[in-house]
Amino acid sequence: MKELFPAKQITGFVASILLTVVALAVYFLNLSFAAGMTILLITAFAQALLQLVVFMHAGETEDKGYIYGKVAFMMFAAIVTILGTLFLFIWDM
Amino acid sequence: MKMDHSLPLEYSSKQNDLNIFGFWVFLAAEIMLFATLFTSYFTLEHRTGTGPSGLEIFEITPVLVETFVLLTSSFVIGLGIHAMRLGNKKATLIFFGITLALGAVFLGFEIEEFITYVHEGATLQTSAFTAMLMTTLGTHGAHVTFGLFWGISIMIQVKKNGLTPKTANKSFIFSLYWHFLDVVWIFIFSFIYLKGMM
Repeated sequence: MKELFPAKQITGFVASILLTVVALAVYFLNLSFAAGMTILLITAFAQALLQLVVFMHAGETEDKGYIYGKVAFMMFAAIVTILGTLFLFIWDM
Repeated sequence: MKMDHSLPLEYSSKQNDLNIFGFWVFLAAEIMLFATLFTSYFTLEHRTGTGPSGLEIFEITPVLVETFVLLTSSFVIGLGIHAMRLGNKKATLIFFGITLALGAVFLGFEIEEFITYVHEGATLQTSAFTAMLMTTLGTHGAHVTFGLFWGISIMIQVKKNGLTPKTANKSFIFSLYWHFLDVVWIFIFSFIYLKGMM
């Protein structure tokens, strides 16, 4: 029974719960917008990385360079799309 | 087919290897799909017109339940893949079953949430904000719904054929999809709900 619950996955799960609880600080505490966004950006991206490495086994095989490269490139494209649009339409720069 | 027995079952042939890599390429494209939805949402989130704003309609309780249910399901399917690598078919099926049950609970809460929004006057047609909110949440919800049917069909195949290189490969790919939906939800939870309620 015990071998069905490996320590790595349990630790990953506890960490993902902790990250969610930390993110909740922005709801329960009266933080400034900048402080709140900083917390959310850190917890969300840490959570994504955690899922990628611990649960999705991204680094286990020989093609890990391609997998991480592919995901990193698409994250880059995603961030450029989001920030680029905000620059033009919302922040008026 | 050439089999490499030093690797986990789901990676044991070249074809399996390529299937998994191909699915990563698909997931990368999915990142871009959700990125465009987030882009539109961030652009339109303050265009509420005469309709309600996020602060007025978001409720923390159902959102928290949805978040913890989905996080747990992502963990449980991870256990399922671990059990699969140990060759334990029964445990794999049990973990996959729990995962899908949690997915159904998540969907139940999300449907309930949508019904509440509509009753509060936030429909798909109310404002640019509600339209983008429901499109973004709905696209994620549609993925979870599709995942439920996909997961059930994978479970039937594992039950019928056992843990073969083929079914192990399919199960592993399904687990990637499920974890990915959890990651997308984390971004929805952080940058739509929590940011909206800050």
